[in-house]
Amino acid sequence: MTEGTIARVEDEVEVVARGELGHTLESAPGLLPGEIRPHPTPFKYVMIAIVLVIVTAFEIAVSYLDGDIPDGLIVALLMIMMVVKFAGVASWYMHLRTDKPIFQRFFVLGIISAVVLYAVVLASLHTFS
Amino acid sequence: MSTVEQSAEVGGSTSTPVPSHDGGGGAHGHDPHATATGVTNTKLAMWLFLSSDCLFFGAFIAAYLLYRGRPGQVGPSPSDLFDIPFTSATSFILLMSSLTMVLALAAIQRGDHRRVRIWLLATALLGATFIGGQVFEFTEFTREGLTVSESVFGSTFYLLTGFHGAHVTIGIIWLLSLWGLSNAGRLEQGDSERVEIAGLYWHFVDVVWIVIFTVIYLVPQPGS
Repeated sequence: MTEGTIARVEDEVEVVARGELGHTLESAPGLLPGEIRPHPTPFKYVMIAIVLVIVTAFEIAVSYLDGDIPDGLIVALLMIMMVVKFAGVASWYMHLRTDKPIFQRFFVLGIISAVVLYAVVLASLHTFS
Repeated sequence: MSTVEQSAEVGGSTSTPVPSHDGGGGAHGHDPHATATGVTNTKLAMWLFLSSDCLFFGAFIAAYLLYRGRPGQVGPSPSDLFDIPFTSATSFILLMSSLTMVLALAAIQRGDHRRVRIWLLATALLGATFIGGQVFEFTEFTREGLTVSESVFGSTFYLLTGFHGAHVTIGIIWLLSLWGLSNAGRLEQGDSERVEIAGLYWHFVDVVWIVIFTVIYLVPQPGS
């Protein structure tokens, strides 16, 4: 087998491997490696920051309703707003929305592992009762 | 020869120049840094680290939730100590530091080195202000009788917020080192991934604080 044939076979194997993995080693034109869509513009970053500040203001306001509305409702509202802020920063500022899904999978795996593990620990120690 | 140049000469398939990265995988089939996943190893490693850090902080948050409001504890309770307006202000500062961090990344991706330095320094200064606020808060709490050894609440509170503060401090040192490199002309547009990875760490510190602020400071204490 000639060197040229070996090189061609190697290239073809690599193409098949990429197809199997669902990844490409090249960046699309205008994108950085690892991106599937371009990052947001600075203007969009500022808009996201404004939204995050507004949500934080609501969070603080809700915390001051302690005693006026049921604690369960306060906790639920605070948790929802916390998740919104968390997802906002992770999606836009950490670019999980625009980067390859492998990063998202890793991060979500860590979050779910932590939440499940410690929820089980706390539940077994009757923390929620 | 940079990855961009290699791409143009060897592959020639990339029409728009893309900044090279270590392990970026730019040239078709011949990039010595190409990875099987199609993403850079350094960025993947940072995400793995952040994923594991979720478990690290989760342990401290769980410990805090386990012991807060437990009867029989001596010393002041959270509702006696927490100054929500003050902590809200420091939380706002940390949130704004995330904005300046992404603006630094956007600037280096454009090749605007002057703004990179401005935003990196702004992020580090905002982080330092947050740490200053935390030191002030700890000092006040200690003055009011909450020490690490006073109660289990004190131990878990200082452990959680202290480790978060340590993460922020490491982030500040990292950002200042990038700022120094940029000042020395050793942080090029092609090095944008270095800023991006520092940014991932910084934003993670921010999202952890989002959880701490809500769960520790804002959620009503049992029996309050």
